[in-house]
Amino acid sequence: MVLAVTADRVSLQWISWCPATGELSGAEPLYHLLGIDDAGTRTLATLLSRVHPEDAAPLRAGLEQAGRGAGAIAVEFRLFATDRCVSHIQLAARGVCDSRGRPGVIGVVQDVSAQRECEQALAQAQADLAYAARVMSLGSLSASIAHEIKQPLSGIITNASTCLRMLAADPPDFAGARETARRTLRDGNRASDVITRLRALFTRKTADDETANLNELVQEALALAYGDLQCRRIAIGTQLTEELPCVRGDRIQLYQVVLNLVLNAADAMDSIEERPRRLMIRTEWEGVERVRLSVEDTGTGFAAHEARLFEPFFTTKSGGMGIGLAVSRTIIDRHGGRLWAMANEGPGATFCFCLPCECPSLPDPGFVPRDRARTLSLEQR
Amino acid sequence: MSSSAFVSVVDDDESVRESLPALLRELGYVVEVYASAEEFLVSDRARDTRCLILDIFLRGMTASEFIRELADRRLAVPTIFITAHSDEELRSRLLSEGAVECLFKPFSDTALIAALDAAFRIQRLH
Repeated sequence: MVLAVTADRVSLQWISWCPATGELSGAEPLYHLLGIDDAGTRTLATLLSRVHPEDAAPLRAGLEQAGRGAGAIAVEFRLFATDRCVSHIQLAARGVCDSRGRPGVIGVVQDVSAQRECEQALAQAQADLAYAARVMSLGSLSASIAHEIKQPLSGIITNASTCLRMLAADPPDFAGARETARRTLRDGNRASDVITRLRALFTRKTADDETANLNELVQEALALAYGDLQCRRIAIGTQLTEELPCVRGDRIQLYQVVLNLVLNAADAMDSIEERPRRLMIRTEWEGVERVRLSVEDTGTGFAAHEARLFEPFFTTKSGGMGIGLAVSRTIIDRHGGRLWAMANEGPGATFCFCLPCECPSLPDPGFVPRDRARTLSLEQR
Repeated sequence: MSSSAFVSVVDDDESVRESLPALLRELGYVVEVYASAEEFLVSDRARDTRCLILDIFLRGMTASEFIRELADRRLAVPTIFITAHSDEELRSRLLSEGAVECLFKPFSDTALIAALDAAFRIQRLH
């Protein structure tokens, strides 16, 4: 009785199942929880008819396995309640023998719907925040984006004028006109590529099963930010390790992180006049199972702010909201990676992240990751 | 075509480097193309240039630095600026500093022709 009361308080319900009769038994709250209030419906078959089709077979298999005495089991299943709501139910059970030696299964069930809903709401909130941050960073890039579209548009309009003139000439220059039309097509495709890249960033979809290549992400982020960086007189350098393996996850969100680190680095150099503004992006192996991307700038550095850099709403910029780095860290964490910042030996800062890669190559016996010693010593400072 | 109609185009964008000279040749000009300010400055033909068409945001050198460099080398010529950044403030500053015109990309052939006419009018006055 004491046990039953305790179980009730933490919303655990005792359950037993008799494989021979198929009957389920427990206390009233159990029947209510599983929607089998009528005495005639308290069987596994009735329960399974209400369980989500994907979960029914694993639930039955789990119970049967426990009934054979093959150890304890734990399964979670979705249950359609009478009011069409879905409950998430967890069951932990093991096999027993009753006083007459007949095999049976006893265990506890718990309604974990609230927990699952919280998890879903949190995931949704994180995705919404990532989207908001992405749209905001695109807003700051609008001049750069306009630049990237106007260049090919300029080519298209000039080519079309030339083409008309070549056709109107006497005699018409058909060969020249054809060549000019070909260039017009190429420039049109170039403008369209810019739009395609942008559309991808404006999408809300989340996908965790894509593959992304860090080198491609760097090139795309630089293509988008190029006009902006040029305007701000920032020299861009890249050292991209060839044949770097892909990482698995949400490509757009990872792209967003790279773009965010590039724009942060650019912001950090806005006030720098006494030294060159240099942005250096590197991709490399980190050990044998991870890849690393680092963005190094010659900006103001983060001096006393180190501890708060990744806090949401912490910002040193007048126009910033302080969510970029916090969102970036959440995204990298969710992908099983790590994002960190280090002060440069000279002026400026370097932001890095590493992610597990898709197909780790076999370690070379003499393989020593490049820059390993240097990275460690910098991180220790 | 004589060297009196010699135009140099300096732009780091490939689409522009291909399309603009084709149109200028169609309009009857002799054209040389350069991807950077430095490339233009060291070329043998810089001195023959009668009109310069220059993208403002060049890699390496800024437009003002470039103009100063041209003056130092006694290469100053009527200059038409072109840019993909629609910045009216910058445009008026350049015009007040003596630029013939500042065209925002994408620009029409009529706008280009008007700017070239103005540049060669100035050229003839000198």
